[in-house]
Amino acid sequence: MDLRKELQDDIDGETLNHCFSCGICTGGCPSAIMTDSEYNPRKILHRVVIEGKLEDDIWLCTNCYTCQERCPAKTKVADLISLMRRVYVKHNNIPTFIKPLVENLASCGFTQIIGDLENKRRKRMGLPEMKHNKEIKKIMEKTGGLNE
Amino acid sequence: MSNRYAYFIGCTTAFRSPNYDLSTRRVMEKLNIELVDINDGGCCGFYYEVINELTYLSMAARVISMAEDEKLDLMVVCNGCNGSLVRANKKLKENPELKQEVNNVLADIDREFKGTIEVKHYVRVLWEDVGVEKIKEKVSNPLDVKVAVHYGCHLLRPSEDIRFDEARDPVSLDELVCATGASSIDYLEKSLCCGGYIMASNQDVAYKMSGRKLRNVKNAKADLMITACPFCNIMYDANQKSIERELEREFNIPVLHYPQLLGISMGYSPKEVGLEQNRVRVNPKIFK
Repeated sequence: MDLRKELQDDIDGETLNHCFSCGICTGGCPSAIMTDSEYNPRKILHRVVIEGKLEDDIWLCTNCYTCQERCPAKTKVADLISLMRRVYVKHNNIPTFIKPLVENLASCGFTQIIGDLENKRRKRMGLPEMKHNKEIKKIMEKTGGLNE
Repeated sequence: MSNRYAYFIGCTTAFRSPNYDLSTRRVMEKLNIELVDINDGGCCGFYYEVINELTYLSMAARVISMAEDEKLDLMVVCNGCNGSLVRANKKLKENPELKQEVNNVLADIDREFKGTIEVKHYVRVLWEDVGVEKIKEKVSNPLDVKVAVHYGCHLLRPSEDIRFDEARDPVSLDELVCATGASSIDYLEKSLCCGGYIMASNQDVAYKMSGRKLRNVKNAKADLMITACPFCNIMYDANQKSIERELEREFNIPVLHYPQLLGISMGYSPKEVGLEQNRVRVNPKIFK
């Protein structure tokens, strides 16, 4: 399917064509500032709208929403990048750096495995124990979230 | 004012920052706020927002439904949980079809999202529900320190969904800091993100981002920094030594969870708010 159509058909994709490439998003973007605009949300939007292409740089967005707050055209820039990531995952699988989180969620219901060490420390501090759960795994299985 | 909340700490606080959990419970106790634990609820779904929307919304709705069972608003301590749960709650309340789809998933684990409660970060609870004046009444040990306030992102943004304070020029956390007797100092790029979200995908950029804020805080001559999110706290406190090594620069800035600062001003000892667990050493003498 055409990537543009796929993005636009999503509930979060309706502002995709609002962008007129002014670059305010990039001017205030922390990842752009740290990489001398090598990471560039304006270009990411332009690329996806004009060329219908997604590249790996979408994973450098910090999800801080500064771009979205500032956009004069009310483009939901950060929400669109989250949507692009979901579409990316659908076509390319889950990136390796997210895999451990997914594995932990499936095994215990938390993004990190909270084991005896953590619970002993909590007990010493008078805090209630954290219990693992299997419900999250069931949700992941039912919704296709395991990407298997 | 409500004085009971369902209380959820998410993953990161449970795993990395029990002192955040501890100090939050202490200050709520002092304010006569009862917390009903759903603390081991599991993940709020935050990461799945960029992987699979139905998984994300179902995970978030599951946690929200636990608070609905208690007929209580849900109080969170993590900006990530706040962003994830506030937005899922709003989206599901506004979209009956999505709600139905999510409830079909939740039916397998005997849960249902009804859409009957609100999700609130504790900063919102303190600022809106309790109020600064009431907090001041509980301050028995007014502090005399200069604090650099870090709001973090998902406490405020996206403002269209979160609807708290003024996203571009917030005052809530500054006022809450001033309630302890401390002063909140101005510093460059106060709204800059901690970079924690991209630690896994690009540590170099994340460290540069955190280092830039630590530099700005240092230049402003703050005695300490406070955060309201376990991710931000890890970036500035637990990772500060690594960032110093990476950027070849010394910061040595103590970074407290806000409830630790408030707790000390309420008369708790540093140990009672878990200060010995903070990685950058905090000299307790500055609180005398």
